[in-house]
Amino acid sequence: MANFKKLIKDIFAFKEPKPQEEFILKEKESEKIDDVSNKNEKSPVKEKKGFIRSLFTRSSNDEKDSGSSDKKNNKLEKMVYVSKDITENIDYLKKRFSIPTNGDIVLREFDILVKDKTISACLIFYDGMVNGMLINLNILQPLMLLSNLDIKDKGTENKNISEYIHKNLVTHNQVKVSREFDEIIDEINFGGCGVFVDGIDIAYACDVKGWQHRSVDRPNNEIVIRGPQESFNEVLRVNTALIRKILKDEDLVAESVSIGERSKTPCSMLYIKDIANDSLVNEVRRRLENIKTDYIFDTGELEQYIEDNTIMPTPQIIATERPDRVASMLTEGKVAVIMSGSPFALVMPTTNNDFLQSAEDAYVRFPYANLLRVMRVIAIFMSLLLPGLYVAITNFHHEMIPTDLLFAIEASRERVPFPSVVEIIIMEFAFELIREAGLRVPSPIGPTLGIIGALILGQAAVAANIVSPILIIVVAVTGIGSFAIPNFSLGFSFRILRFVYVFLAAIAGFLGITFGLFVQSIYLCNAKSFGVPFMAPFGPKTNSGYEDQFFRAPIWKQENRPDFLNTKDTKKQPKISRQWAKSDKKRGK
Amino acid sequence: MGSKAKKPFIVIVAFVMCLSMTGCFDKREVDDLVNPIAIGFDKGEGNSIRMTLQIAIPTKVAGGGDGGGGGGGGESVSFTTVEAPSIYSGLNMINTYVSKQLNMSQIKVVVFSEELAREGIEKYINALIRGREFRPNSYMLVARGTGNVAERYLRAVEPELESNPAKYYEMVLSAYRYTGFSANTSIINFYKNMVSESTQPLAVLADISQFENSDDINTDNSTYREKGRDYPLEGDFKAGDMPKVGTIKSEIMGLAVFNGSKMVGEFDGEETQLQLMLEGNFGYSFVTIPDPLSADNVVPLNIRQNRNPKRKVEIIDGKPNIKVKVFLEADILSIQSGINYESIDKVTILETSAEKFFEKGLMRMLKKTAQELRSDTAGFGKEMKGKFFTWDEWTDFKWIEKYPDSKFEVEVDFKIRRPGLMLRTNPATGTEEGEQ
Repeated sequence: MANFKKLIKDIFAFKEPKPQEEFILKEKESEKIDDVSNKNEKSPVKEKKGFIRSLFTRSSNDEKDSGSSDKKNNKLEKMVYVSKDITENIDYLKKRFSIPTNGDIVLREFDILVKDKTISACLIFYDGMVNGMLINLNILQPLMLLSNLDIKDKGTENKNISEYIHKNLVTHNQVKVSREFDEIIDEINFGGCGVFVDGIDIAYACDVKGWQHRSVDRPNNEIVIRGPQESFNEVLRVNTALIRKILKDEDLVAESVSIGERSKTPCSMLYIKDIANDSLVNEVRRRLENIKTDYIFDTGELEQYIEDNTIMPTPQIIATERPDRVASMLTEGKVAVIMSGSPFALVMPTTNNDFLQSAEDAYVRFPYANLLRVMRVIAIFMSLLLPGLYVAITNFHHEMIPTDLLFAIEASRERVPFPSVVEIIIMEFAFELIREAGLRVPSPIGPTLGIIGALILGQAAVAANIVSPILIIVVAVTGIGSFAIPNFSLGFSFRILRFVYVFLAAIAGFLGITFGLFVQSIYLCNAKSFGVPFMAPFGPKTNSGYEDQFFRAPIWKQENRPDFLNTKDTKKQPKISRQWAKSDKKRGK
Repeated sequence: MGSKAKKPFIVIVAFVMCLSMTGCFDKREVDDLVNPIAIGFDKGEGNSIRMTLQIAIPTKVAGGGDGGGGGGGGESVSFTTVEAPSIYSGLNMINTYVSKQLNMSQIKVVVFSEELAREGIEKYINALIRGREFRPNSYMLVARGTGNVAERYLRAVEPELESNPAKYYEMVLSAYRYTGFSANTSIINFYKNMVSESTQPLAVLADISQFENSDDINTDNSTYREKGRDYPLEGDFKAGDMPKVGTIKSEIMGLAVFNGSKMVGEFDGEETQLQLMLEGNFGYSFVTIPDPLSADNVVPLNIRQNRNPKRKVEIIDGKPNIKVKVFLEADILSIQSGINYESIDKVTILETSAEKFFEKGLMRMLKKTAQELRSDTAGFGKEMKGKFFTWDEWTDFKWIEKYPDSKFEVEVDFKIRRPGLMLRTNPATGTEEGEQ
């Protein structure tokens, strides 16, 4: 009985929970001290800067300070040069690469037999990042087995071992010889194989990159019907090769730049040296070299680091996954940046018209290209202004609508309880929701989402009198229009601005929309992309180079490069590019 | 964000806040408004007017929110009549009992009763032109008869081909382009001509059909006798007198002629066509002319005006001397008599006959405007205006007063272009008895 009573009591009575050891990420010692000192010493200075800004600046400073101090603590002595003693090198490598904690680093020790002499050596590389066969055949095999061969070279006696190994033994095409440890380690980090040999104070870094990557694929986002069907992948050298394959021009320079203090992401800056303006190239190089950050992964991040204006909705650098597009823009005198690990190349400078063009425009015939251009501009205006215009007309300018349409709108809105602004914001939001969810949804569920989106939001919302059917048409046309915009980023900017225009239209009708267009055009005319006015060649006007701007002239009429790029070579082709069109007699033959 | 970016940001915020201050000031949702599509004015007690609004019911016109209704159920319009001292006071009164706010921007026609029109409608026209919501291009009608004829006319409008009565007005009043029996008498044109010193305003005549059964049909009110014809042609009628019966009661034909803001007379259908020809606004129309060689038969022609008329005004002995040359082209639609007018030698007979026909008609019509109506409807003053150096000289000339003394010279250039699909009329073959 007592037991039962206790059981009941155990169930219902309050018991103090047992103390449980939980993991807590504790503040660093240095931070705590810093906090106190900051409050006492630096507070008067910081108040001047403003509260919000001080929040950002202080924390970042702290971490940097403490981070660097940690680094110093961890690395007691840093070897700058490769030592002659291999054990010293091996010890340092083990420490540097955290062997054996680090699982995927391979440190292979072996012996080289040269003229009855045994020299110990070691290989170091990351498993999975290298091509194992290459190491076996081209590095280990000659060093371990073929070193004994009698090499018929008279000068052999005079050479020292290091040169002998480099010149005669390692049968690999890309070998870097260096005395500096950091240089070798950078190579190892990027899929290289480090070779250290006892008795010499240099090391070899062989390029044996062999990691798994995507093959060159069809473009996913910039699909064309006519034209090349290749797109960039994540490998830098594949990407540069794709461009070189198209351009085949020794004047095309691919300068290497590495960005990120820790990631050291290799980038390639491409330009055609006798076309692109030197100051433009210098400016791009300056911006690329002056990025101080730890890691950078994608050109999407790079774009944000080097663009002129951060808060402007319109992008100022074009990102494309098509090598042919990059190539054609390089021939205009622009500069491209390709980054290892990113399938998108950045091309700069960019003007408004570049965003309205698709790669296909150049490949289809003159009348078709112009039809597409006109369609695109209409699509842009629709996706930008249509919801705003709808709100403006239905709220302020009833006399503008044809009577029949007015009655149709009136009848369809009769039982809708919301004002038309709320109605359109509900629908636009729903549309954005479908778009975002459709992107993130796992592909097996994709069709379900489409059905739910189309059925529930389209049909049922109308049946439930939440929105009017005419509004569904407006939103749908807007959505279709926004997909007709060839550039993803530009489409994004219009998606944002569309809401602004709805807001302005709700406040002041056409007056508000006009105001918005006015401000937007001022903003666009004011913007610059790498020193080139964004609205060039229309605002400011330039002398020539209108052949492929808003409309596209026939290809044989496109003689000049855009004037605003100030290229070294302004002519693309002679005045008469179709020499056959002149009769032989006139040509004087 | 540096201070560089701060400045435009603040400016934008300030602008947006200024805009927001308006607080959607005159924003009105479509479904919070009611749209009258026609307005009629009759004479009320004393100084007041009797105003009739024809209000479209959108759910009936366009089908309900569920879609597909097609406006089948019930009347698509409702009427309300109010007596008020002025247009706007009347609208205010109507707003008290019509649940939604009146929005006049979709008004298609403005109808004045004949009584009101003969008294003068300047004050109403000015009010309509001044009002922001009234469309300047809504049509101006004068309902014939006495009493509340404007209301009677509006209530009689029962469009059958359109679910939307507004569309009925638009279609029926723009039919002058292919009938020539009415004219583009928008309020803005009316106002301009009313205040103009070189021309006089016109309005379309409207009435409801006077015949109930086809047995009642007669042509007693036709104007053919005045013109010295033996039988009426299609243009010899005014609205309400047309020999027709049917479910569509409302009729539009002819023009009301104004002198200043007062109605002084009427044009029948034919005179309206001639008026359009003098203006150069005649599109194309089927016109019947008597057969020159066979008195009992007529020749219907499809007449077009492809060139503007040549108009010339001179002052001889202090009196205006007006010369007009009208250019017309025609296709033959039918030749009742079967005479081979298509042939080169006979076509001139038809052409000269048609020229005579129209010259006679124009002469009669112009003399009527000058002597009977004393109103320059064709706007010959515009030709006169160019002869003066200053505006003051022109206004001092007082053209409107001089016009009734005008002498006219009319010339018609008539060309038959195509005989239609038949190159020759072949007689029907049969035995003598059969033919008789």
